[in-house]
Amino acid sequence: MPVGIRGVGLCCALGVDAPASVATLLAGGGAPHRVTLEGLADSVEAAYFRIADGAPLFDPGRFERLIPPVVQAAVAEAGLSAAERRALPVYLGSSCFSIGLSESSYEAALRQGATDASPMPHCGYGYLSELARRAAGSEGPTFTYNTACTSAANALLGAIRALASGRYPHALVLGAELANRTTLTGFAGLQLLAERVRPFVAERNGIVLGEGIGAVLLSAEPGAGEYLLHGGASNCDGFSVTTANPDGESVAAALRQALDSTGTAEVRGIRAHGTATPTGDMAEALGLRKVFRELPAISVLKPYLGHTLGACGLTELVLYLGALRQGALPAAEPGTPDPQLEVQVLDRQAEARPGRYLLNHFGFGGNNTVLVLEKP
Amino acid sequence: MIRAIAASHYLHPVREDEALPSLDTALQPLCREHFRRIDRFIQLALLGSARCVAGHRLAVDCGLYLGSGLGPMSNNISTQEQLIRDHLTPKPFNFINTLGNSAGYYVAKNLGLSGPNLFISRRGASFQAALETALVDLECGTSRQALVGVVEEVTLPLAAHRRRQGLSVDTVVAEGSHWLLLETDAVTGHRLERRQALRHESEMLDVPAFHDSIAAAGVTENVSKGGEAVLADGWTLFHFRP
Repeated sequence: MPVGIRGVGLCCALGVDAPASVATLLAGGGAPHRVTLEGLADSVEAAYFRIADGAPLFDPGRFERLIPPVVQAAVAEAGLSAAERRALPVYLGSSCFSIGLSESSYEAALRQGATDASPMPHCGYGYLSELARRAAGSEGPTFTYNTACTSAANALLGAIRALASGRYPHALVLGAELANRTTLTGFAGLQLLAERVRPFVAERNGIVLGEGIGAVLLSAEPGAGEYLLHGGASNCDGFSVTTANPDGESVAAALRQALDSTGTAEVRGIRAHGTATPTGDMAEALGLRKVFRELPAISVLKPYLGHTLGACGLTELVLYLGALRQGALPAAEPGTPDPQLEVQVLDRQAEARPGRYLLNHFGFGGNNTVLVLEKP
Repeated sequence: MIRAIAASHYLHPVREDEALPSLDTALQPLCREHFRRIDRFIQLALLGSARCVAGHRLAVDCGLYLGSGLGPMSNNISTQEQLIRDHLTPKPFNFINTLGNSAGYYVAKNLGLSGPNLFISRRGASFQAALETALVDLECGTSRQALVGVVEEVTLPLAAHRRRQGLSVDTVVAEGSHWLLLETDAVTGHRLERRQALRHESEMLDVPAFHDSIAAAGVTENVSKGGEAVLADGWTLFHFRP
């Protein structure tokens, strides 16, 4: 049983709310900032899509300020009663959680010469979901997912299935990712950072990180939303802890499971994961070609807001949904086609027709997750 | 009917001034290959999951649902120490192992699983969150088997470990790895019944993570021995009947 999207909220490099972000996306997007991490044995300088909130990038108070408006936008649009909000389960996906908060607290303790200064003073995964619960007025259960770049997509899938099973009438689903030093230096150490995001073209050479917070309010009530999420599929590829098998087999399996489990015959468009890494795009392209004789319209969003990692399942859903609502399929700057991939991303906006759309997500730990969205 | 057809538990209380026991010898016969660059959290996950499924045939699409309140703490601590105190860029595998689902990757690789592979947390009720998620997936027909576990790691020194969780200095802490193998069409094993909890306890979120490990140990130990077991959080009650 599909569930309706009844409210959305978003804050990302494209704008501080969903309407502004979608407008900027469809107008051609923005540009990344530059981030420099000094004082390290190997300093890091990288392009970075940050939220323009005016705060220092590693300000530990940013989650507390940025999560509530995003959650409240989704809840307000849904028009839930206070009793419905109190019972809301919260599903949350993130890669970073409170790691940035721990970095700042530990650094401050060391600077002050505290004898009991310990790393990871803020341990566990509950901080963000508790902020979301409080902002929503919820006393319901939380389900916090940490599956790398598929975290928010898996949180969505978990919520969709829980609603479809009759566990809850409504659910709040959130993806949250903000800048922190562990992530920036970790990706720099993996040599995966690039200056520009160019998915599926010959010039692609890596990712540009970004931050974002996205939320949707899902409802199982009939007629609860025009746009529906039909579920999807999630699987695990044992090829490598850092990438899906470049032969595309596990990606194709996730796509087939998603199509089979949702009874999806015709696909109008795909919001590809499109990280622009050489092997990541190879796995996705070959997987798509194993499943589709003729590829549907392919859009990529990471050139506009960066890779928001564990939050991308929500940030990119809200952006793609916003574009579909305006009847447009987002486009990206063209590049030199890669003959090994044979995937052509839309290079000019196209009409978004009613029907089913796929959203792809792949991440470290072998996670592949595909979601199915329906435009009325 | 969903049944728990196998269970395992490993619970090790850690005493003052005691080193954590090596898991290498116990792990060696349980792993199909020698995994390099894995941390203690991954070792604990490998140990408990392999013990649970020993002697059982696993479906390739068996789902894996790993719960933890704290996640891979020893790796996260050393990574943050290197970065913030020593100003060193994290080593690639230290960085990748900061993710909770890296443990699930190695478990899936060890057991030959390609189904859903999720890391789910809810502080002191992470086992319940993982179990609830697995039940929904089994009811949806995503797969007919689910391997559900909770892993909690203890880090040294114990004083810092307790301080991070807001525990008193005399609290006994333990590391653990507790697992259940669930199946939808089994004819033997414990019947798993689920119902809404009688009272609402949202404060469950403030319970220290290792309490969940102890609760899970009670369930998995009872199921292993053929006894009855009940597990509850603030919202749901799980009943395992022989």
